[in-house]
Amino acid sequence: MANIAAQRIKREFKEVIKSEEVAKCAIKLELLNDSYTELKGEIAGPPDTPYEGGNFVLEIRVPETYPFNPPKVRFITKIWHPNISSVTGAICLDILKDQWAAAMTLRTVLLSLQALLSAAEPDDPQDAVVARQYKENLEMFKLTAKHWTNVYAGGPFVNSDCDDKIKRLIDMGIEEHQARVALSSYNWVLERATEQLFS
Amino acid sequence: MADYFGEMGWTPLEDGQAPDHFLHFARLLRDFNMFDELNAMNGAKLAPPASKSAVEALPDESVTAKDSQCPVCLKEHVQGETAKKLPCGHLYHNDCILPWLSKTNSCPLCRHELPTDDEDYEAWRKEKKRAKEREIDIENLHNSMFS
Ligand SMILES: [Zn+2]
Ligand SMILES: [Zn+2]
Repeated sequence: MANIAAQRIKREFKEVIKSEEVAKCAIKLELLNDSYTELKGEIAGPPDTPYEGGNFVLEIRVPETYPFNPPKVRFITKIWHPNISSVTGAICLDILKDQWAAAMTLRTVLLSLQALLSAAEPDDPQDAVVARQYKENLEMFKLTAKHWTNVYAGGPFVNSDCDDKIKRLIDMGIEEHQARVALSSYNWVLERATEQLFS
Repeated sequence: MADYFGEMGWTPLEDGQAPDHFLHFARLLRDFNMFDELNAMNGAKLAPPASKSAVEALPDESVTAKDSQCPVCLKEHVQGETAKKLPCGHLYHNDCILPWLSKTNSCPLCRHELPTDDEDYEAWRKEKKRAKEREIDIENLHNSMFS
């Protein structure tokens, strides 16, 4: 790895460790190898959002050309959000693409992702299904996002209605996550989800 | 009174010069207030590199401020070492800012833009600036009429 990238990550790592966001447990950064190319990030779901109380894990890959090119970041924790793929965890965020600047750091990236959880941009979607639900049925979106936060990110809000419907599909032989995706995509209408799964 | 071209901020075509279709398209979008669309087309990629002449003209400054840090490598500047100063005043190591400006034209810290050698991008930027000025003109006009 080019010297500048590794050295920079080393410095950033020190900076993040002593930042107040880490002290407040809002963000976390962990090295996964000695060459500073792979890291694990964590962000806390922001208060007053469906992600509140959840903890979201991110995969961070640092390219050799860093900081002249942005890090490659995706969600490992499954999440229901218009700008994040519910399938791959891929993120649609301008600073990770054309709005990247060499003065940005992993700390600013993590904080921007946290901000993205507070303010989705449904007109620039990564996940079309989620974005449509967000625009057409905001309450349904919030309910679904909260449920995913509970199941995958350790959030506190249990929704027994969601759990019951998933159980019904599991009893029909559907795998749990697949059942959750189908129900989430069809506004938790059991009949429509079933129809889609068995068509 | 200024002539038509002067008033519009346009330059007439030279003999034998072909019209710039991108520029016409940009004006069309401007006239219909569709800059966001144009921006979406342009915004898909990083803005073009800073122009060679602008980069060559960047002054070398000797660093005097204490505790100043190069925003690219995050190392503290050593007092007395030379650094490149961008028009916005931000200081960078030579080896840190030159690779960045060869990719895109703005200050990594504040996004102040340097000129580019990309004619289409410059035309787009100029039209955008004009649109902004027109907006201000109209607002001033309204204010003077109704205050
Ligand atoms: Zn530097
Ligand atoms: Zn600047």
